[in-house]
Amino acid sequence: MQAKYLLKFLLLFVLLEGFSQNNYYSSLTIPAKLDEYANAVVRSYDTEISLTSTDEMHIKRKRIVTILNKKGNSNVDAYVHYDNNVKIISLEALVYNHYGALIKKIKKKDFKDESAVDGGTLYSDSRVKYLEYTPISYPYTIEFVCEISTKNTAFIPPFNPLTDSYVGVESSSYSISYPESITIRKKEKNLEGCDIQKEEGHGQINYKVKNIEAFKPEDYSPPVFDIAPKVLFASQQFTLEGVAAEVLDWNSFGHWMYRDLIANTYDLPESTINLVKDLVKNETNDIDKAKKIYQYVQDKVRYISVQVGIGGWKPFNASEVDRLGYGDCKALTNYTRALLMAVGVESNYTVVYAGSSQRSLESDFAAMQGNHVILNIPSLEENIWLECTSQKLPFGFIGDFTDDRDVLVITPEGGKIEHTKKYAAEENTQHIKGEYVISSDGGIEAKANIISKGIQYDDKYWLETEVERDLDLNYKKRWKYINTVTIDKIALKNDKSSIAFEENIDFHASNYTKKAGDRMLLTVNALNRNTHVPDRYKTRKYPLKIKRGFIDEDDVKITLPEDYEVESLPNNILVENKFGSYKAEFIKQNDSMVVYKRKWVVNDGEFPKEDYDDFRSFFKDVSRYDNSKIALIKTQL
Amino acid sequence: MKFKILLFLLSNSFISNGQNYKFGKVSEEELMEKLSPLDSSASAAYLYKYRRTHIEYRRGQGFYIVTDVYERIKLYTKEGFDYATKSINLHVSNNEDEEVIGLRAYTYNLENDKIVETKLEKDGIFETQESKYRNQQKFTMPNLKEGSVIEYKYTINSPFYWNVEDFEFQHAIPIKELYAVFETPEYFNFKINPKGFLRVTPKQERGSGKILFSNKVRSGGGLGGATRTTYSNISVDFVKYTTYYNLSDIPALKDEPFVNNINNYRSAVNYELSFTNFPQSPYKYYSTTWEDVVKTIYDSSAFGNELEKTGYFEDEIDALVTGASSPMEKAALIYDFVKSTVKWNRYYGKYTDDGVKKAYQTKTGNVAEINLMLTAMLRYVGLNANPVLISTRNNGIPLFPTLDGYNYVIAAIESPEGVILLDATNEYGTPNVLPLRTLNWEGRIIREDKSSSTMDLYPKQKSQDKLTMMVNLSSNGGLQGSLRSIKTNHDAMIYRKRYVETDHDQYLENLENKYGGMEIEEFSVKNENDLSKPVMESYKFSMESQADVIDDKIYFSPLFFLRSKENPFKLEKREFPIDFSYPSSTKYMVIVNLPEGYKVESIPEPAAMVLPENLGSFKYNLEARGTNIQIIVDTEINEAIISPIYYDALKAYFSKLVEKESEQIVLTKV
Repeated sequence: MQAKYLLKFLLLFVLLEGFSQNNYYSSLTIPAKLDEYANAVVRSYDTEISLTSTDEMHIKRKRIVTILNKKGNSNVDAYVHYDNNVKIISLEALVYNHYGALIKKIKKKDFKDESAVDGGTLYSDSRVKYLEYTPISYPYTIEFVCEISTKNTAFIPPFNPLTDSYVGVESSSYSISYPESITIRKKEKNLEGCDIQKEEGHGQINYKVKNIEAFKPEDYSPPVFDIAPKVLFASQQFTLEGVAAEVLDWNSFGHWMYRDLIANTYDLPESTINLVKDLVKNETNDIDKAKKIYQYVQDKVRYISVQVGIGGWKPFNASEVDRLGYGDCKALTNYTRALLMAVGVESNYTVVYAGSSQRSLESDFAAMQGNHVILNIPSLEENIWLECTSQKLPFGFIGDFTDDRDVLVITPEGGKIEHTKKYAAEENTQHIKGEYVISSDGGIEAKANIISKGIQYDDKYWLETEVERDLDLNYKKRWKYINTVTIDKIALKNDKSSIAFEENIDFHASNYTKKAGDRMLLTVNALNRNTHVPDRYKTRKYPLKIKRGFIDEDDVKITLPEDYEVESLPNNILVENKFGSYKAEFIKQNDSMVVYKRKWVVNDGEFPKEDYDDFRSFFKDVSRYDNSKIALIKTQL
Repeated sequence: MKFKILLFLLSNSFISNGQNYKFGKVSEEELMEKLSPLDSSASAAYLYKYRRTHIEYRRGQGFYIVTDVYERIKLYTKEGFDYATKSINLHVSNNEDEEVIGLRAYTYNLENDKIVETKLEKDGIFETQESKYRNQQKFTMPNLKEGSVIEYKYTINSPFYWNVEDFEFQHAIPIKELYAVFETPEYFNFKINPKGFLRVTPKQERGSGKILFSNKVRSGGGLGGATRTTYSNISVDFVKYTTYYNLSDIPALKDEPFVNNINNYRSAVNYELSFTNFPQSPYKYYSTTWEDVVKTIYDSSAFGNELEKTGYFEDEIDALVTGASSPMEKAALIYDFVKSTVKWNRYYGKYTDDGVKKAYQTKTGNVAEINLMLTAMLRYVGLNANPVLISTRNNGIPLFPTLDGYNYVIAAIESPEGVILLDATNEYGTPNVLPLRTLNWEGRIIREDKSSSTMDLYPKQKSQDKLTMMVNLSSNGGLQGSLRSIKTNHDAMIYRKRYVETDHDQYLENLENKYGGMEIEEFSVKNENDLSKPVMESYKFSMESQADVIDDKIYFSPLFFLRSKENPFKLEKREFPIDFSYPSSTKYMVIVNLPEGYKVESIPEPAAMVLPENLGSFKYNLEARGTNIQIIVDTEINEAIISPIYYDALKAYFSKLVEKESEQIVLTKV
């Protein structure tokens, strides 16, 4: 009886094994559709997290991934980071061929071991072990098994089955177990439409998801983190680099951060305090004081990233930055705050996700998030935001690095979610006043005065400090559609107080017009032609997102060659649609002068995917209108 | 009289060299300087750059290379602050490593007309173990301002006396004053190899030095006697050779596009150990001539021995070539066999790592394993095959005989019909079509008798791209047509890599978007995997608004989207050779069928031009034939490398080419 039962059990076990395991190793069993637009398919990825106490967490991962082609090699992802608080318990990789037969075994000692300092960081104590494997044929499958234990419980890895583009997912599971004394909070994102199973028990939560098609990025689509399914976890009680904490919401999170990581860093030397007090003594309002302090910081410090132990989370002391004259974003932001404190101006340390993709912090899920720190100066009218790692940005200008997103503002009273400055289309302007002369042999001589503001300022202000040779190249590239253009004059002015960048450029080129017999074809828009057309997709999958709008206005006087006359002038154009508008006017002043006026407006916004084709056509049309030509014909004598 | 002249000379040199380059003696003038007098665009400059490298004997440890570094740098703008962070790479090998000692560094600023110094403290110094073979020491200077001067000095001790870091005399910022010394006892003979555009010659001196050797002598141990160990100290005098360099006002080295590796042009001196001659020991040779280099490489167990092994593949190769009759047929079979069975692990090397046998078993290997294996197999079936040592593009051009000069090896078959170069690490390569990384001037072939000679690596045969397009132009400016392109050699190799390694749908999407949105049908590629034939791509397409319709006229440039829109050469002047990688020939043949009801009003004139020295040529011909127009454009670049003296000609040539291709055809309504 018992033997029979055992046999049955064994049989079941073997069957299960046969079904649930082995078929992941052969590339022949990849379900249809998962390999579409995929360089790799994650066959099965199991993450087991066991939180044994507030300062002990075990993470076990088993990841089976089939690599379909050479580009997929970067999706092997067989690596593990470690430092003083992270211990690697086991590490192994197995390689299978096309048919699922085991062909190689890589043990822990055969993993490469390197310092995990990235390009932007001078020093970090983090290290990485990674697998280096040369595939002998495609497809192949790698099984990666890794177990670590860590004393830091501030970050519980999320359930994040889809992390990379061009990777399909067959099956991915996640489980977390924890003692009763610990409260786990979680947040689900983008799970609608996923084949997902969920189990929640006593001290245990499990998720499993199946068959997610590969994510293929598209122009003007929302970023992957707005689309991919994800479940975030956080422990209410946790430990970070030996410091215990309890956090319920953003308010208590901010409270903890302020108390344990920030509050005791304000130890500016008396001499510096006196110096900055003296610096602002003639200023009467907080904003003017803050401007002086910001300038002082920009002149004094530079960005150098050093991440060691708790210093990876806690800013350097203000006195250290004062002495060294450098620091990372935490240190420089906090230093600026210390100086503002010294002159009685209120400001707040603010955590943000930096980058042009406008990623927001999860406003309803308090947990360690973000990758950058900026400074907030609360103001009755509008919050002011300072990027303290830049030595060049004007006061209060944050550009596309941290604009328009939810951030965590940490005050001594606790944390709160705020939204950073949004640069609306009407602020992101470029205004060109120009004139050009066409010679009778088709050459052009042009002068342009260009004033850029808002995000368009952000695109150009860095030119101020470029060397002559690189500037010359930059303008040749800007007018690359003019063959062999020569730049004759470059005069730049960075007006930091009104946040406007002014360029005065003269250039000339021979053979600008296209000649055909007695005729000359003159492309009217010489100074600001749109050459960008968004990519076309047979079937657009994701909605359309225009992150930032802009307005371009051009006003150009054109002098025609004496021995030619206008045979035909393009028709004026006016287009208006939900994405913006375009207007072009061609005004004949007299026989030798034409005035060209152009205004192009693109608004930010989100639209359903069905709108994408129209949006693309808008850009395509603008590019076509920008190529409108005047036909000139030789004057008959 | 003589005395007077000498005095005059001395004082003169004092005037011209009024700076004090003692550590810590930064002057107010240096701090006040706003621009580099050598280069007003410089963000920073070395005011003084000192290095002394000498060989030192350490009791019980042997010989060490000791390098003292002292640099004084002026930071003019914030962009120059990068020079205030320094990384020192330190080699590690077999439990021995290089170390940095005695690091001292200061930042100097002018505050209220007073010089204020800030010391680099421990918290600004970082040590990292980068990998098994490399440690790194980094430091970053405190308290920087625009106008700061920084100074640092340190010493590197290295047990690897055969490896002297190159002396570099030119950087991306100018150098005001440079002093460099190399000293060696007579036991070491180094060959001095200068390189770069700005040539330097060392001054040489002969002096003397002294070493205290500790000798351990064992005696006794015979019948009844105890073993005794005695130590004796021997003092040895030796001749010391010194070379030194004193240079001033060295301009910055600026990178340019189309340069294969800027280090080829950097002024530097390399010290290559050629032999050692320790007292009471025989000479030990390293390398001084190419013959020595070849011998050293060949005699290394990771080269010559590996090349001689055949046992591991004999059975399989015998079976593989049974059907083949001619030697070349066998060669082709073996080349394909190695390419398909042993995959490259992306490591370069002229030496094997795990050996050819292991590579054969595990089906992966580095460059040497794969190509020495290939050479051995070719020899085994009777071909005259030999390895060719190569310096890859990122390794620079080997101007003088050094071991490091080569970092890669390929195979060559020499026959009366000519030479065939093979690299089996490159999946899409074919005979004489080597990957771009290896196309770097000359390689060196090593024959079985260990003789060697240079081997030109640049392809003689042009890569061809033949493109045929037939289009129907409609009266609204749209195009419908078909396009076929046939590519050979390197053009084919590059095409295959891009096509085969991209998802098919993605490739099509990229192609459709390449010209701003065409719609493609009936797409097909032939011979993408049959490397013996040219690769052929063909498709039908439609595109909107490719011509300007103005009133009753239509204007268009007859190559449409194929025309060259930009001159690749934008710099006003150029100093370094222009590297096209390989010679090429591009031929466009386009037939445009006119829309009904239109006739040709004017067409551009045919044109032809040539570059000097037959470096390249451009031919543009067109002919209107009633309802259609035929255009033939031939572009040839005949050399892989073009000297900068032809830069202006080349720039003008491309400008003319872009202009010609943009000229318009005018159609009028009948």
